Amino acid sequence: MGRDEKLDIPQGTLDLMILTILTHEPMHGYGISQRLAALSRDHFQINPGSLFPSLYRLEGDGRLKAEWCDTENGRRAKYYRLTASGRRQLEQHRERWNRACFAVTSVLEGA
Amino acid sequence: MILLHRLASVVRWISRRDKAEAELRSELEAFVDMAAADHVRDGATPDEARRLAALQLGGFEQVKERVRAGRHGGGLDATARDLRYGLRQLRRSPGFSTIAIATLALGIGGITAMFSAFDAVLIRPMPYAEADRLVMIWDDMTKLDITTKLTPSPAEWLEWRRLNTVFTDLAITQSVEATVSGDGDPEQVPARSASWTFWSVLGVRPTAGRVFTEDEDNKGVKVVVISHGLWQRRFGGSPEAIGRTMSINDERYEVIGIMPPKFYFLPARDVDLWVPASMPAWMRTSFGWHSATVVARLKPSISLSQARDSMRALSLQITAKDLGGGHPVLVIPLREEIAGRTRTALTVLLWASATLLVIACVNLTNLLLSRGAARGREVAVRTALGAGRGRLVRQFLTESLTLAALGALAGVALALPAIRFLERLVPEAMGDAAPLRIDWRVLMFSTGVAAVAAVGFGLVPALRGSRFTPQDAMRAGGRGSTGARSHWFQHSLIVVETALAVVLLTCGGLLLQTYHYLRHNDVGMRSERLLTFETPVFRYAKDFDQRIAFINAEVEKVRAIPGVVGAASINLIPFTNSANATFYLLEGQSRSQTVGQVALIRNVSRDYFTTVGAQLREGRPFTSDDRKSSTPVAIVNAQFAKRAYPGKSPLGQRFKFGSLGATGYWYTIVGVVNQIPESGILNETKPVVYRVYEQSEQISDLAAGIVVRTAVDPESIVPAVRQAIWSLDKNQPLAHIRTLDSMIDRQLSTSSQSASLLSAFAALALVLASLGIYGVLSYAVTQRTNEIGVRMALGATAGEILRSFTRQGLGLTMFGLVIGLAAGGVTSRVLTTLLYGYQPDYFSTAAAVSIILIVVAAMIAMAIKNAVSKKAEAPALAVTSVPGDVPR
Repeated sequence: MGRDEKLDIPQGTLDLMILTILTHEPMHGYGISQRLAALSRDHFQINPGSLFPSLYRLEGDGRLKAEWCDTENGRRAKYYRLTASGRRQLEQHRERWNRACFAVTSVLEGA
Repeated sequence: MILLHRLASVVRWISRRDKAEAELRSELEAFVDMAAADHVRDGATPDEARRLAALQLGGFEQVKERVRAGRHGGGLDATARDLRYGLRQLRRSPGFSTIAIATLALGIGGITAMFSAFDAVLIRPMPYAEADRLVMIWDDMTKLDITTKLTPSPAEWLEWRRLNTVFTDLAITQSVEATVSGDGDPEQVPARSASWTFWSVLGVRPTAGRVFTEDEDNKGVKVVVISHGLWQRRFGGSPEAIGRTMSINDERYEVIGIMPPKFYFLPARDVDLWVPASMPAWMRTSFGWHSATVVARLKPSISLSQARDSMRALSLQITAKDLGGGHPVLVIPLREEIAGRTRTALTVLLWASATLLVIACVNLTNLLLSRGAARGREVAVRTALGAGRGRLVRQFLTESLTLAALGALAGVALALPAIRFLERLVPEAMGDAAPLRIDWRVLMFSTGVAAVAAVGFGLVPALRGSRFTPQDAMRAGGRGSTGARSHWFQHSLIVVETALAVVLLTCGGLLLQTYHYLRHNDVGMRSERLLTFETPVFRYAKDFDQRIAFINAEVEKVRAIPGVVGAASINLIPFTNSANATFYLLEGQSRSQTVGQVALIRNVSRDYFTTVGAQLREGRPFTSDDRKSSTPVAIVNAQFAKRAYPGKSPLGQRFKFGSLGATGYWYTIVGVVNQIPESGILNETKPVVYRVYEQSEQISDLAAGIVVRTAVDPESIVPAVRQAIWSLDKNQPLAHIRTLDSMIDRQLSTSSQSASLLSAFAALALVLASLGIYGVLSYAVTQRTNEIGVRMALGATAGEILRSFTRQGLGLTMFGLVIGLAAGGVTSRVLTTLLYGYQPDYFSTAAAVSIILIVVAAMIAMAIKNAVSKKAEAPALAVTSVPGDVPR
């Protein structure tokens, strides 16, 4: 699979993935995109043109909270942290995603 | 919760935009830095690493734009940007923008202001329950000389109440003189006596207290219902006013009720008190005593025409035994009665303002079409650069809507002062109870119409431009996209707006002619510097000689004031009153011949005619020889002379009037004066007889008007006049102090207002139409620059080219003129009620309008000539220049 043949991120799952990645620690935008690539074993390459609007929207909805902190290299960056409301939404999303996966798998296997 | 977060986010975004933008930028820079650092770690050179990192981000602006669009409140931002862009576009062509906005402002402002007046007078509910069921009833006296529409008698009212089948009830009011004295200055206030049914017929209750009962009315109990204004003025708005007594004509009346502040009824808004009619026995049976104003409420199931038929029959039956046979009645809706002639004036003016709005929209359409065609190239370039149809439509849409919004704004700015001016059109009966307000519905409507025109025609270039391939449009040099079809359309728009302007001009001209006639019509006297006022003389009701002596003393006192040239008295001030009419009997006639012989009676002091400057046709004025003891003499007006003694001189003839019986005086006619419109400047002149006070029958005529001719400004002597009268009797009230000229102006105000407003509308319409013609033609010149250049190069003279353009302009104007004159001839028929019986000369108006139009057309031709000769000076330049770049 070449570099150009990344998978499209399925609709509606970007928020779920961002929220999941942020469960463990606050991260900046670049970190999130790198982590996403790593976790998806490079199947997903997120476009910043989609990532940043999502981050801003989640922040506007109060799911995330952003702060300017220093990176390990001493550069300042904007770190996003999950809020309580973000955690709740993650749980709901995750539960719905599991059900959807189960349903799709059932259909595919049953056919 | 989430909503709150979103709201806060929007507020943050709007309030701290610059900061948020800067933050976003640093965040993206951090992204690139970190990505570059990773690439360096993977072995790339620093330059290579930055390039890769930038690629990874995918462009700063694009990401930022997507974040902005995705944010809550991002839509607001886009709108603001569009608006800014629209304003910038409009600023870029200030000439076009100014004309377009001014055009819209005139159209929108005009109709908004006019409708506010129309609404206040003719639409807004009147202060009565189910006001559309209320009618007024008048005696139809077509058979009399004196009038066609006469106030009925209380006796008739009693019969109608008893016998009618179409009304739930009827009420009468009559004029009464009322001098309020006691606490504060003596004050003569407008007052009415009313039947106890007055309030139930109108469906109105007092705000405090009660109204009088049938019993109180019949027994003549001294109770009074007062207006809100009088309550404020004389009782300071105290709730304890109810139950207090006040002195009216030196008698004590108990205040029992206070009317609502917005209440009004005929004849005028300023009526301050209502007392019980309490008619004496003679009045209840006297069918000749025409003193009542009758208002009635239709039964729910009865239509106006049913009521008319039924009342006509009833009246003829009741009055069948009258001397001259029965008379029918007129039943007229109350609203019509209150609005009077204003109704027609307002309707005509509303139509005129609507026409102006149409012209404005037509003009805007033309402007946009011309400009749009000129922008064909711009559209083509943008299309070539990849702008989509949607993008173009959105851009042109924003521009059009910005135009309409600015036009509406300017329209309101125009309407607000215009409304103050229009307040003078509100009929006297409504006065300040019908305030004019900007009607937002109409403003929205007219703005909507303008927006539709702006959007509809503003989008044409965007749609047309994107329909062609860019190559086609560019190749055609920017003019390929206008075909013969749009010329045809624009030319018919020109003809339409010219024709509409001509209709308005014609109607305006007719009204101006009428007003000019009315204002300069001979009123039979010199009206300038003539002060008039009334002094009620009820205190001398019992003693006739004492009353005459008091009036003469008043005149003497006033005459002694410095600056006064002369003073005299007449019982009813001219131009104000159609009361005091009588039958008259010529010597040699029998009583039965007096039917239809009606004249107004006026009692005057001896030097009245000299004071007012009346012109004597023949005979002599009254002299000091005309005393109580001498032979009674009379002076008649020309109308009387013509009616009673056709073809011969009335001098020396004897006749009776007032009291026709054996005891009545025989009056000898000693003079004939030119007509003075006693009952109002707009009313037909009637036969009038004048006699001196001393020789009048000693009936209780308790009015005394004083006329003062001054050498100085009449208003300046008013304080001195008050002091002069009060030096005779400090409790003597003065009422209706005003100059005769102001009275004439007041009576002609509907005529002058409608004439000036309609002319103003017409002038604006003409200006707009000429702008439209000029715009289209000058656009044609610029559009055909290449053609002009080629023709010049081939040897055509500038004159020939000019002629071809002016021929087109003149042709369109003249076509519009002809259509407009034809339509104006038809339209002017609706003006009849505003012409007050005067027949203005349609042909001279039409001729004047034609001359104006030709002058305007010539001016347009001159302007076009300048445009053409500029091209003609440099044919080479004309050929090479690109029409798309012409200054707009």
